[in-house]
Amino acid sequence: MKSQQALKILLGIYIFIFFAYLFGPLVIMSITAFNSAEFPSITPWECFSFRWFNEGKIAYDGQHLAGLATDWRLHEGLITSLKIGLGVVLLAVPIGLSAALVLTQVHSRLRTAFYSLSIMPVLFPGVIIGISTVVLWDRIATMGGGGLATELGRNGIFLTILAQACFISTYCFLIFVARLQRFDQTQEEAALDLGANQTQVFFKILIPYMMPAIASSCVIAFLASFENYNTTVFSILSDQTLTTVIASKVRLGISPAISSLALVIILITLTVTIIYEVLRRREDKKKKELEAEALFAQTLDSRLKKAKTKGLKIPKSIFGILFVVVVCIFGFNKMVEKGMYGSTCIAASEKEKKSNFADQLKLLQKNAEKASQQSSENGDVGEKKEFDSIFGDPNLFKDFGGFDSKTQDQD
Amino acid sequence: MSADVELQNVSVSFGNFYAAKNVSVKIEKGEFFSFLGPSGCGKTTLLRAISGFSEPSDGQILIGNQDMAGIGPNKRPTSLIFQNLALFPLMSVADNIAFSLEVRGTGKVQRRKRADELLELVALSGQGDKKVHELSGGQRQRVAIARALAIEPEVLLLDEPLSALDLKLRQKMRTELREIQKRVGITFIYITHDQGEALTMSDRIAVMNQGELEQIGSCHNVYESPRTPFVATFVGENNAFYGTVSAVDGDMVNVLADGHNFLAKAGDLGEGKKYTFKKDDKVIMFVRPESIFLKDQNNQADNIFTAGFKAIEFEGNLKNIYMSIDGKQNVRCSVSNAVDTTDLSNSKNVELKFSSRDAVVLPVGPLAVD
Amino acid sequence: MKYFFNKNGPLISTYLIIAISFWFVFLIIIPQLYMFDLSFRPNIPSLLRGGPDDVYTLIHYKHFLFGSQTSGESYNYVDVGVFFNTLLIAILITLINLCFCYPIAFYIAKVASPNTARLLIVSLIIPFWINELLRSFALRILFAGEGFINNALLKLGLIDNGINFIAMDVALYTGLNYAYILLMIFPLYNAMETLDKNQLEAAEDLGSSMLKTHFRIVIPHAKAGIASGCTMVFMLTAGALATPVVLSSPNTFWFTQLIYQWFNMNDNWPRGAAYSVVLLSVSVVFVLLMMRIFKVKIGEIVR
Repeated sequence: MKSQQALKILLGIYIFIFFAYLFGPLVIMSITAFNSAEFPSITPWECFSFRWFNEGKIAYDGQHLAGLATDWRLHEGLITSLKIGLGVVLLAVPIGLSAALVLTQVHSRLRTAFYSLSIMPVLFPGVIIGISTVVLWDRIATMGGGGLATELGRNGIFLTILAQACFISTYCFLIFVARLQRFDQTQEEAALDLGANQTQVFFKILIPYMMPAIASSCVIAFLASFENYNTTVFSILSDQTLTTVIASKVRLGISPAISSLALVIILITLTVTIIYEVLRRREDKKKKELEAEALFAQTLDSRLKKAKTKGLKIPKSIFGILFVVVVCIFGFNKMVEKGMYGSTCIAASEKEKKSNFADQLKLLQKNAEKASQQSSENGDVGEKKEFDSIFGDPNLFKDFGGFDSKTQDQD
Repeated sequence: MSADVELQNVSVSFGNFYAAKNVSVKIEKGEFFSFLGPSGCGKTTLLRAISGFSEPSDGQILIGNQDMAGIGPNKRPTSLIFQNLALFPLMSVADNIAFSLEVRGTGKVQRRKRADELLELVALSGQGDKKVHELSGGQRQRVAIARALAIEPEVLLLDEPLSALDLKLRQKMRTELREIQKRVGITFIYITHDQGEALTMSDRIAVMNQGELEQIGSCHNVYESPRTPFVATFVGENNAFYGTVSAVDGDMVNVLADGHNFLAKAGDLGEGKKYTFKKDDKVIMFVRPESIFLKDQNNQADNIFTAGFKAIEFEGNLKNIYMSIDGKQNVRCSVSNAVDTTDLSNSKNVELKFSSRDAVVLPVGPLAVD
Repeated sequence: MKYFFNKNGPLISTYLIIAISFWFVFLIIIPQLYMFDLSFRPNIPSLLRGGPDDVYTLIHYKHFLFGSQTSGESYNYVDVGVFFNTLLIAILITLINLCFCYPIAFYIAKVASPNTARLLIVSLIIPFWINELLRSFALRILFAGEGFINNALLKLGLIDNGINFIAMDVALYTGLNYAYILLMIFPLYNAMETLDKNQLEAAEDLGSSMLKTHFRIVIPHAKAGIASGCTMVFMLTAGALATPVVLSSPNTFWFTQLIYQWFNMNDNWPRGAAYSVVLLSVSVVFVLLMMRIFKVKIGEIVR
């Protein structure tokens, strides 16, 4: 008995660690969005500020680090992503639906082949789907000789919609297949028997039944498209989506503006999830009440307890929310008291950094010279040079990655 | 309004397998006709062929003297009530009922009117706006019937619609179905594996086994004069005595079984003919449990025998007494609960009797396996 | 075919056929075939395609194995090394993920009360909807030189100098592990959920130890889920691009990054295609291997 209890405690600890691992990085990233320092971190904490949500700042070395509200590249990327998401939904959902419907009508061997082909795109690495789409359409565009085909073949948005639809259709397909498995086919037969033709059966029986699956596959398709990077980075060509903008930003140096973007996305996700969950619970409750009522009507005796009189019931979660709010207000007050919020704080820290700037610049130059020497020494035709060219000067990382250049030299 | 249905040598096969084989039957206008058989006997296949969901691989189906070949289920004058009812869960009750009118383009007001009419017919007035899942099992049953009747079909096909209900409700619905049939006056073709349902509701019954028709006849005919050992044992309970013919006298046959010489009548072959036997033929003699009586002093019967007592089973209105002759031949006898059986348990042997009129002799054949 | 038209009616049949053939032919089959074809062709400007120079050649595959002709080495140690490193790490990460997720999936599926399970599932899904890039970014913040972990360790006095997690690839491997953890949990959870709790109780009742119960009952039952989770995690890890872009150190490469390089930086599409074909073949082989080992159908892997 005792070992069982110990096991339970161990399991509890394990689960706690697991979720800490899952959420910890996200929480820390969210907090860094409020640190005014240009490197996203919690320690050292400079000042509490919303600057990364708004205008960003000009860094001490002259680089402009845009905040969320002023970064036009992010905005353009967002709009492109939305367009692509819409296109993918319009393409992938009907495709997935049709494939799922046909799957119910083919049998035995053909069915296996059909199913395998349908789910294959999910098993392809995303980069390959992007690449194959691009190479094919480039060929089509070349052969098209300036016509519509050329225009489409060179249009990154169009290509991305096609490439993403290739595998997102499979997601939709799987959702529809799951729903169709629970479909009672006698309903179709009943409708036919009552005189409906096949088209009427489709629109009056099948589509209403599939509606929840259609809704959820629209959402899934959109989200999958919105957050895709592996495929998009190839097929988007010269355009930029939100994810490719984020990727290039992260690669060039990490800025807290990305933390704030992440926080916005996390908050949106949380809100949507909570709303969905609340709605679902409410529906469950309603269903249960209805069932209880029906049972009550059927069992005519008084064995069933009467429904409890509705009182003002406070859900426990409210206490949790209240606690968080109180902590936030308290913490914020403390910060204002200590002068860690507002323009005076920021001005003070700027001043300190500027005095260090001259030293930093010298080190940077020294590093760059050393690195270029190295690369010319061993970089004839080998891969080294090519790698460097993508990822830029490795020294860039050192500074933006926040590495103390002194320790780097010692290595 | 009502039409007769005629099956001419209908076979339905799936690959090498005959689900129904060479079935011929003529179902009259306005008749309540049942196909009775164990599951897998091909009755549902037959029903689907009549309603148009599958085409017979051989033979013809005529409804109102019109060949139905190539006519889809939505063009046939039949309505089918499915085993699981197949009500549309996302529609209201009234929308369900008026669905057949909706797909034919009838206006909303008229649809509602017709739905209300039908709801009244099945005693569900005022329930039109409910959702299907808010109804009880019996109510759903009635909605399914109303929905099937909405376009005034000439033939209503019912595929074991009562099987999902519990016993009491099933019995009630039997009576109701029969009444509705009388009221609307159209042909009902009913499929069931429950002989009680078939016997209580039908005008005529067709008993099926392994894709083939075993016997067609009225309820009395099927119950009292089974034509095959299968029918004898599938419809109702029966004691089967395996034996050989020792003498034949017109329609009466002497059967030697388990050391007894029983007298019984020869089985019917239909159309007034009877089986003819000769001496030493292997036969089965069937006697229903309710036709076997405990012997008492007063009345005599032409068949008297003794069996060893085994057990007694209480069934409410009846008591089943299980016995055996020489420990081999099992005999079951049903007596009314009013009969006193207290001293039976003490005695080892029981004296039994039955009339030769209640015993049927048939050639050896497969029984319905329980 | 006639049956198909009869069953669906003309309008719907047309829609079904157009949608499916568009998907199968234009989105799945032709692009892959063309990429395969391209991988055997020389790198020439696209206007010269179909011309006399456009002949079949194996140079790209040769380059992958033996390196460029100018280099002195007999094998292309860099690319082949990256390739095997990618595979090896992907397999390791898959195994670690499996061990890491198994208890959680089991807990949610069989131990937790329905409400707790629901809550846990929802909290698992939330991080999954946040972009892979952003999740990697979060880890980068943690692992950076002046990042959270280094600072915490320094403050605690456990280390004297910052540890370069990124150069050591710790960050990359953690990131890859972190990125696809949910794709391991869900198949496992789905498979375990269908296990009848009575079976576990029966095993316990018959005196089976907990470990034994898992090996004899839970794991065989969850076989398809394990196969599915492992396949998905391996495929995604081996084909990952976003996480390596954010977290790999300047001198470590993931195989997808090589492909990316041939495509976007060096403008050698046929070579990129050839490298893609290599990656694709590995994926196909891996799926087939999983199907063999676990004796499951392809439909059980992707759900």
